[in-house]
Amino acid sequence: MAEISSPSRSILSLLSVHIHIGQHHILQGVTFDVEAGRSTVLLGRNGAGKSSTLRAIIGLNPVTSGVIKFSGETIQGLKPFEISRLGIGFTPEDQGVFYSLTVEENFRLSLFEETEQTRRNLETVFELFPDLKKFWRTKAGLLSGGQKQMLGIARAFVNDHKVLLIDEPSKGLAPILVEHLGHSLNKIKDKTTVVLVEQNFYLASQVGVDYFIFDNGRVVHKGQMKDLVDDQALKKKYLGIG
Amino acid sequence: MTTEMTPVQRERFQAQQAFFKRPSFLIQVALVIGLILVPLVPSFRVMDMMAKIMIFSIVVASYDLILGYTGLLSFAHAMFFGIGAYSMALLCYHLGSPQWHHLILATIVALAMSVVLALILAFFSLRTKAIFFAMLSLALADFFHILGRSWRNLTLGEDGVTFSLPGILNVQGQGFSLFGLNISPRTMTYYLVLVVSVALFIFLVRFVGSPVGRVLQAIRDNEQRSTALGFKTFPHQIYSIVFGSSISSMGGILFALWLRYVDPESVLGVFSMVDYLLMVIIGGLGTMYGSIIGAAFFITVQTWLPDLLRGIAANFPDYEIIQRMADRWMAYFGVMFVVVILVFPKGIVGTVQKIIRRRRMASFK
Amino acid sequence: MRKSIIWICAIGILFIPLIWIKLTPYLVLTTAGLAFGMFLFMVASGMTIIFGLMDILNLAHGALFAIGAYLGGYQILNLLNTLGWVETGSVGLSTISLLLAITMGAGGGAMVGLLLERVILRRVYGDHLKQIMITIGVLYVITELIKILWRPTAEPVLVPLAFQGSFDIFDVIVGKFRVVAIVIGLVLFVGMQLVLRKTRLGLIIRAGVENREMVQVAGYNISRIFTAVFTAGAALAGIGGTMWCIFQQQVTPEIGLDNQIFALIVVIIGGMGSVTGSFLGAIIVGLSFNYVAFLWPKLALGINILIMATILLIRPRGLMGRE
Repeated sequence: MAEISSPSRSILSLLSVHIHIGQHHILQGVTFDVEAGRSTVLLGRNGAGKSSTLRAIIGLNPVTSGVIKFSGETIQGLKPFEISRLGIGFTPEDQGVFYSLTVEENFRLSLFEETEQTRRNLETVFELFPDLKKFWRTKAGLLSGGQKQMLGIARAFVNDHKVLLIDEPSKGLAPILVEHLGHSLNKIKDKTTVVLVEQNFYLASQVGVDYFIFDNGRVVHKGQMKDLVDDQALKKKYLGIG
Repeated sequence: MTTEMTPVQRERFQAQQAFFKRPSFLIQVALVIGLILVPLVPSFRVMDMMAKIMIFSIVVASYDLILGYTGLLSFAHAMFFGIGAYSMALLCYHLGSPQWHHLILATIVALAMSVVLALILAFFSLRTKAIFFAMLSLALADFFHILGRSWRNLTLGEDGVTFSLPGILNVQGQGFSLFGLNISPRTMTYYLVLVVSVALFIFLVRFVGSPVGRVLQAIRDNEQRSTALGFKTFPHQIYSIVFGSSISSMGGILFALWLRYVDPESVLGVFSMVDYLLMVIIGGLGTMYGSIIGAAFFITVQTWLPDLLRGIAANFPDYEIIQRMADRWMAYFGVMFVVVILVFPKGIVGTVQKIIRRRRMASFK
Repeated sequence: MRKSIIWICAIGILFIPLIWIKLTPYLVLTTAGLAFGMFLFMVASGMTIIFGLMDILNLAHGALFAIGAYLGGYQILNLLNTLGWVETGSVGLSTISLLLAITMGAGGGAMVGLLLERVILRRVYGDHLKQIMITIGVLYVITELIKILWRPTAEPVLVPLAFQGSFDIFDVIVGKFRVVAIVIGLVLFVGMQLVLRKTRLGLIIRAGVENREMVQVAGYNISRIFTAVFTAGAALAGIGGTMWCIFQQQVTPEIGLDNQIFALIVVIIGGMGSVTGSFLGAIIVGLSFNYVAFLWPKLALGINILIMATILLIRPRGLMGRE
């Protein structure tokens, strides 16, 4: 698992990253590459270390050892705000939406600097999630679960980040909303590189181009999504489905 | 016989067998004998210092129970101390000539008030966040402080209460002689303080080692896991607060007995919490025996530091600022307190224990 | 609907003291209570925001208050008085002296606050126990330092000429300085609301109170914002101290601790992290303290504990505290 495929095209790469939280050895040498423009899905059982990986990339989990590179720059050890300014967006599992702020304020807070591009992105957001325009001045805490999820993703997206880390967007959503979400994420992934942690295999297969399977704090398998969809044995072994 | 025991029982039995042979037990015995011999030293200052060290060891150990073993920061510990001291002083002062049953009555009153107040405090503050406990106890403690200062009819305000003790504890009395030694009322009071504080200290150590004490530590270290194991956080925290606070009020009674004088600033003052905290921190959180070291260090320095500073300042009679700096010796305790928290988070005993444990682990490997 | 009923009830409670107090003293007490409330608000608002945003219970806040009192109220006014600006001279000069005193109080509070945050608190972020212990230690040290630098006893504080005496409105005697205090308090409250609602910093603070992590992820340097907010809170406490000691016409080294207890009660009543809550809490504490002190002086502090207990029983997280 150690070799890195075509480093020239990789936008985000992790090399044997270790993380300790308390006494627990959460990540035990995670290595993978995300290629620019190819949406990547991190798969695996609960507790395999996918969410911790995303939090490590954005700088919320301190890395014990290993290297994280983004666009050729080493970013581990930087503060979350520095990493964010380099061009990585993050939507956590609980969406991280500010409930006491309005939808507008949530966007204003996320828009670190307003440019032509972010304005265009906002237009895209309104196209994809018309609800957000409708509830523009409503407190985010009053939105439905699906709308909060959309706000969480859209908010990270408007900033014109090069990479967007999204943690389990389908959690707690009705199947019909998951379908809508998949459609929206497909639009978003055309404009930026998405790294998605997802339990819902349907959504993962809709969005992902590449995949990495996590188990016990390591990447145990990788490949292209279109091959995995038909590989019943692999799915059964690591994901418990199929 | 041992075969019928559960593993836990067997372990405890073996621990009890080994108890009397341990070096720490011998140190404890030596300590108690040393304390018994203190009145032979012909210096009242030394006896006064030792009595205060014993009293504050109890208070600090009971504070350690709440702070170190339970993980709750109470600012009301001085208040409970003051309640004990004042119930002793006021009963002896207001009820005419002091009688022995006043002492018992004072103990009962102090215990009852401590239990009730500790329950009220716990009930209001532990429902939400632990930090509330700190805030509420601070507010309540200051309320009692102000009460002590302003309720003049009862507490005589800032002037404080001077009272005398019954029987052979009365300093006007003659005392008696035993084996040719003249035992003064002062010495008798000293021995009373000694007996009660040793008893209370053993009581505290037993409490910490009891199943309830162990659960308390488990909750402090990992509340989620302990509750998952079926231990309820709230009642255990209440045991700890009520028990610790009651012991503190007992300490207050001893303090009043020893000084025969109480005033709001010294027994109820909120800033005396900083002294307690300093003693606990120096000794180390969650160490019990550390409280003896903390109290001993603090009281010793407190006894001699003012003299030392005044001596230094006497060399610079022309500089008023140095005179003033010498007067405010408490400021140095404050600075030390802040520095110790920053530098020795585990306190002195805690740090030593950590080093010993690390050595033992190393020799294990 | 339910909200308006609560408001009507709340305003109704304000008139209950009229059962025992005649209208004229009632109005006098009300202005005194409002003024007291404003001083408390100046301390409590900083405490509550620092708690909400940084998760720090800053028990050294009273020390910043005391520094404001000694530097601004006591030292500067005494200094300016030697120029003849304070107790004598023109109304204009005495107004300038008050402004200078407030500036100095705010500046002194801010400076010490900045040092405190940068040098000491920064090392104990995330550890509640240590924070509380360290901050009360700092309060203790600063109280002792004040005794060294100034005097361990109470000292008189001058009242600038323009604010001495009182207005007499239909037999209601209202101290001039009370009016000034209420005006300054209201200005500060409105100003804080404007900053919180209308500026980017306010947006970041409101967001940070809710979720610090996501503010960082959005690209903001939270530690710089912490410093800014802590310094601003310290400046507010300094202003409160300056105003309070002029109002009381004296300073004591324990001024910080004494007022901090009230501020703490205000913060608990209002709900930790809410500026509006601490404004309401400050008014409640200020008014009730004055009414009760007039009727039954002994119960004055008890009433605040009682109100706090009642509010905590109904709303364990305070009036405006988030669930």
